[in-house]
Amino acid sequence: MTIVTQPSGASAATPNRTAAADPAYRQIRDLVYKVSGIYQAEDKLYLLADGCARRCKAIGVQGPRQYWDHLTAHPNRDGELRQLLNELTIGETCLFRSQPQLDALRKVILPELTGDKMRQVTKRLRIWSAGCSTGEEPYTLAMTLMEEKDGLLKDWQFEIVATDLNDRSVEKAKAGVYGDYALRNTSDYFKRKYFVPADETRIQVRPDLKKFITFNRLNLLDDSKMLFMKGMDIIFCCNVLIYFDGASKSRVIAHFFNDLSFGGYLFLGTSESLLKLNEQFHLVHFPGTIAYWKPSLQSGKP
Amino acid sequence: MNTTAITQDIRERISHIESTPAIPAVLLPLLKLLNMPSDRVQMDEVAQLISYDQAISAQCLRIAGSPLFGLSRPPKSIPAAVVVLGLHRVESILLTSCMGLAFPVKTWSIDPGVFWRHSLACAMVCRKFSESLAGADAEKAYAAGLLHDLGILVNCLVFPGEFAAAMERARQLQMPLDEAERTTMGFTHCESGRALAEQWGLADALIEVVAHHHTVEQTETSRGLVALVHLSDLLCRMRGLDYGYYERHKVDLLADPAWQILLQEHKDLENVDLVRFTFELDDAVSEIHELVSMVLGNAAQT
Repeated sequence: MTIVTQPSGASAATPNRTAAADPAYRQIRDLVYKVSGIYQAEDKLYLLADGCARRCKAIGVQGPRQYWDHLTAHPNRDGELRQLLNELTIGETCLFRSQPQLDALRKVILPELTGDKMRQVTKRLRIWSAGCSTGEEPYTLAMTLMEEKDGLLKDWQFEIVATDLNDRSVEKAKAGVYGDYALRNTSDYFKRKYFVPADETRIQVRPDLKKFITFNRLNLLDDSKMLFMKGMDIIFCCNVLIYFDGASKSRVIAHFFNDLSFGGYLFLGTSESLLKLNEQFHLVHFPGTIAYWKPSLQSGKP
Repeated sequence: MNTTAITQDIRERISHIESTPAIPAVLLPLLKLLNMPSDRVQMDEVAQLISYDQAISAQCLRIAGSPLFGLSRPPKSIPAAVVVLGLHRVESILLTSCMGLAFPVKTWSIDPGVFWRHSLACAMVCRKFSESLAGADAEKAYAAGLLHDLGILVNCLVFPGEFAAAMERARQLQMPLDEAERTTMGFTHCESGRALAEQWGLADALIEVVAHHHTVEQTETSRGLVALVHLSDLLCRMRGLDYGYYERHKVDLLADPAWQILLQEHKDLENVDLVRFTFELDDAVSEIHELVSMVLGNAAQT
C-alpha cells in the first residue's frame, strides 16, 4: 500500500501544475493531513489535484471549490474523504523506496542498537514490516541488513517479520518476483547479489535472502494477535495507517509501542505523521527522514 | 564542555579581517542600524545607506522579489519595497544581500553555495519558527539565523589550513562540524565567530547566538533567541540544508534542552506541529536554492 510520491509515466512528463494553483487544494491538503497525517508536498500537489479531479468526475461536482464544500458540508463527507484517500493511494510500491530511511537504519540505528548493552546479551534483532504489501519493503530491509553481515552485524542474528492484511499480497511477497518497475531504484549491485532470473522480464529473490523473512497475514486491528508481536527492535509501517479512522489508528499505534523493545524505532511513510495520537513516542530526526522512538530505559523517560 | 577561551594570538589574526577590502562598505553601518531600537531607525537612513552601493541595491530588489520574502515580482525601488514589506523585512533583505557579497573568501574549505544555503535556510526557518510564536521578533530571528555561522567564514579566511582539516575530518567521520573543529583546531566557529562579532560591535543578542548556538545552556542572555537558532540549525541539517555531507546523527528536538528554554519564553511552542513544520520546510527548499544562486550569482560578478 503506497502513496504515490514519485510521479511515473506520462504524469511525470506533464504534471498538472497549473490546476493545483487553486487555493482550495491547499485547504483539501490540510484536511487530508488532519485526518490521515499524510502531507502532500507543494511539488506533489498536482497529484492531489488529479485525485480530486477523478472524484469530482465520479460524483458530478464542478471543481475544487465545490469539492471542498462536498468534503466539509455534505452528509456523506466522511465517505467521500475515504474515497479521496483511496484515490491518493495505489497498491504498487518499489524496492529501495526511501533511501534516507535506509541510511538512518544502517548508519545511525544499527550502530546504536548493536552497541546497546541489553541487546548485546542476545545479539538478536527483530524488524517488523507491518503492511508489507507484495514484499518490496521486507526484501529491501533484508538486503540492507545483509550488507552489514560481516560488519556491524557480525555474530548477530536478525529476523524480519513481514505481515499484510491481504492474502494475495502475502503470496506474491513470498514469491519475491519483480519486474523493472518495482526494481527502478535497485542498483545492479543488489540485483546481481540477491536475485536470480525468474523469466524473460523478471527476477526473483534468492532463497538465502528469503530465509531471513517470515511472511504472515495479519490484521493490525486484531488485538489478540497484536499482543504476540513482542520484542521488535524496529517497525516499518509505511502508508498503512491512512486506512484507519482515528480510534483504530490510536489502538494500532499503542500496540506498536508495546510491541517495541525499549530503544526501538517506528518508521512511517516519508510524508506521514503520527499527529498527536501517541505521546509516549519521541519524534526523532535523522538526515532526510523522521522516526518515532521508544526511549530506552536508561534515558529515564519511557 | 566549557567554551575554550581562544588565545590572544587567534584574536589578533581575526582583527585583521576588517582590512579585507572587498567587504561592502555598507555592511558595518547596516549591522549598527540593526542594533538600534526600531523606532529610531528612519526609512531614509536605510535608503541612503543602500544607495551607496549599486550592486547591493540591485540585488536587494531581486531578493525582495523572491516568494520567500512575500512578493511575486521585484519592487521598483528600495523605498517601494519598504512600503510593501515593512522596514524590518527590508533590513533582512539588505543583510542577506550584504552577507552574500561580503567575504569573497579565496580559501573556501566548504562549498560557498552549500554554506550560504545552510545560512539562508537557517534564517528562513528561524523566521518561520518565530512567526508561530506570539511575541517573537521574526526579523531579528532571521538576522540571527543568517549570521549564526559567521565563525565558519572567519575560519575559512583566517585559519584556512586548520579549518580544511577539520572539515575533512567531519566529512570522513560524518560527525557534527563543531565537534570536528574542537578536536582538530582546539576551538570552534562559535569562538572565532564571537571574536569577530565582538570586534564588529554586533548587538549583544547576535553575539550570544554566534557564540552559543552549539552550547545553549551556557547562554546568559537572549536564551530564547539562541535556543531558537540552535533548533533551527539542527532542523536544517536534518533536512538536506546541511554542510554538504551526511551526519550520522539522531536529533530529538523535543528532548533538547533548547526546546525547554524556548518553551519557558513561549508557551505556545507546545502547539507547534513539528512534523508538519518539517514537511513545510521541504516545500521551501527549491526556493532557498534559487535565493542562494541569486545571492551568489551577483557576488560572482563583482
